[in-house]
Amino acid sequence: MKTELMKTRRRSDPDETGEKVSFRKAVKDGDFWTRASLVVMGAGYFGRGQHIKGILMTVIEAGFFLFTGCFSLPYIRKLPTLGTVQRKEILDLTTLQKTVNQYDNSLMILLAGVIGLLFLAAFAALYISNMKAVYRLQRQKESGGHINSFREDCRELINGRFYVTLLTLPGLGVLLINIIPILFMICIAFTNYDMDHQPPSFLFTWVGLENFRTLFTTSTTVTFGYVFVRILIWTLVWALTATATTYFGGIMLARFINNRQTRWKKMWRTLFVITIAIPQFVTLLLVGKMFGDYGIVNSICSKIGLTGLLQDLGLVSRGLSYIPFLTKPGWAHVMIILINIWVGVPYQMLIATGILLNIPEDQLESARIDGASEFQIFWRITMPYMLFVTGPSLITSLIANINNFNVIYLLTSDYVTANMNYASSNAKEVDLLVTWLFTLTNDYSNYKMASVIGICVFLICAVLTLISFSRMVAGNREEEFQ
Amino acid sequence: MKKRWRTAARHMVLAVLAMIWLLPILWLFVTSLSAYKGINTMHFFPVKWSLDNYMQLFFRPDTVANFPAWFRNSMLIGVFSCLISTAFVLMVAYAMSCMRFPARKPLMSFAIILGMFPGVLSMIAIYFVMKLLGLTNSLTGLVIIYSAGSGLGYLICKGFFDTIPVSLRESARLEGASELMIFTRIVIPLSRPIIVYTVINSFLAPWMDFVMAKLMIRSKNPADWTVAMGLFNLVQRTLVGNYFSVFCAGGVMVAIPISILFVIMQKFYVEGITGGAVKG
Repeated sequence: MKTELMKTRRRSDPDETGEKVSFRKAVKDGDFWTRASLVVMGAGYFGRGQHIKGILMTVIEAGFFLFTGCFSLPYIRKLPTLGTVQRKEILDLTTLQKTVNQYDNSLMILLAGVIGLLFLAAFAALYISNMKAVYRLQRQKESGGHINSFREDCRELINGRFYVTLLTLPGLGVLLINIIPILFMICIAFTNYDMDHQPPSFLFTWVGLENFRTLFTTSTTVTFGYVFVRILIWTLVWALTATATTYFGGIMLARFINNRQTRWKKMWRTLFVITIAIPQFVTLLLVGKMFGDYGIVNSICSKIGLTGLLQDLGLVSRGLSYIPFLTKPGWAHVMIILINIWVGVPYQMLIATGILLNIPEDQLESARIDGASEFQIFWRITMPYMLFVTGPSLITSLIANINNFNVIYLLTSDYVTANMNYASSNAKEVDLLVTWLFTLTNDYSNYKMASVIGICVFLICAVLTLISFSRMVAGNREEEFQ
Repeated sequence: MKKRWRTAARHMVLAVLAMIWLLPILWLFVTSLSAYKGINTMHFFPVKWSLDNYMQLFFRPDTVANFPAWFRNSMLIGVFSCLISTAFVLMVAYAMSCMRFPARKPLMSFAIILGMFPGVLSMIAIYFVMKLLGLTNSLTGLVIIYSAGSGLGYLICKGFFDTIPVSLRESARLEGASELMIFTRIVIPLSRPIIVYTVINSFLAPWMDFVMAKLMIRSKNPADWTVAMGLFNLVQRTLVGNYFSVFCAGGVMVAIPISILFVIMQKFYVEGITGGAVKG
């Protein structure tokens, strides 16, 4: 049984002959069937008796040409200009009916063009690998090797090449939801697609790096440079504080609950966990309303005289009858971070509990016997262990906080900026880069600047990830635990 | 004596903290029982109690609030996208963790790079793609959006699979088991915690998201909305005065099943996160 299995595995090994097969070599040394595959991709399989595989390959080839010819080719050809014919409505005076000319839709051209080019690239890769495979098949036949039947090929798909089966569908999903949209949005950053250039009525076109220049310009009319720097700083401050506060808060709380003197540990933990279970948008909207200008917290504050006290201290301006928790810069920044502690600590507590319980007890015990104080144990044993375990996830949560859309968006929906520089760039003092991006697309259709900001966010995240890259991908340790 | 004081103080601190954390949730609950429909700004507890908000939520759907339909939509989306996402995550994780093939490392790096683009950026592009496919305004479209890209979130699950002893798989292979059998008969039964973690996460995602749903579903008929979308709409400036306590009732109704699910699954959840995270 074992040896036979090994044999099948060997047979399917593509590099059985141990020699490198290149496209050029395949064309040069191929026989009739192999060369015929240059035109009809299935030919090489027909010639060796693999009829079903041959049909499948040819069908794929035909499908690709049909798709490109009928659908994507006209769009790809217009890609360099993104369309030249603007939409016009002509009123025919005799029939009083409006006719619309054959106009170009820049958006469709870009989207279908990107998809078409992706298909083209995928097909090219398939074409080349097909030639190599066909040539390998020829060599196998020549050396009298075994040629897999279709049934054997299918068996391979749940065996040696099971990964192909596993990755195909998820891969297609990622292509549809991630790759195509991202490529499309990157392209948008180099066009002038905004409120004044909206298809189908208007065309947009390539403008090169102009949007990137705009992002760093500050003048009387353009304030993107002024706003971008400030929002970038706030985004980084926010991400660092939010990550640090919830991380340490979570560890403190977990230790506090796990302490030997604490009773009813499970109950305390459950009380905090309940807050995670309620959908974030519900709690955030609710807390936002509680701290609203005329919300319940404000009426309590004014009842107990806190509002007056803060006015006397100069923390709240005289003109206001309320504390502007979420409506004035400064106040809103602090409140958002505090509310985020409320949101994030239970979650971190849950994670920290799981890890703290895993700390080898003998280490702690021997430290105690050696006379280490609780404080020393925490900083010398517990924290290094926690950092070792959660290090990579700390970077991940830092990136998640840079992209933390919900907290900011839901808490500051009533915030109106008083700063003209911010207003003319459609931003607010409390915006993160991502919420600014969202406002630009959703409310102001300023897709070009939104894409540029998106690329900046990507660059920041990329730099941060590079720091932890080696740990996450290098995979030196991935087999250590197996 | 001193020790007893310290223990008492410790519990006092915990009680105060728990109160801070539970206060907004208590407010959510009591406001859902208020007879007054707007935001109660003067009193923490409602002046007049009533169950009317729940009655309205379930039995009197109107032009802006149709909770039964929302709940059904969210449930459908949740169940289907959870099935697809879980399958995708397990498949990708198995391929990346248990199999060795030339494109493995490049694919893993590529997945990480893709993950660094802000989700908000591609949102609008996803809308255009879905429009091209004719899937806007439909539940199918939302299921695709929530689940199709889920393969990228395989890392935690892979971390877990990495801990399953390689000898188990080797011996199965020597017995003549195919990779498919190893995947379904050995690896999956051993990964209960991580499956529960993935299932919960992917089931909840559609319940929490309102931005994507709002972008995709342009219908003005509330029967086509999801819970998150509908509830979010209720606290917009024009409606909040008449629907705030209904919003709270809706929040409670969503929170109860999820909380129960969460408290029961807590153990698996923690095992899921830490089991996957330990291995970086």
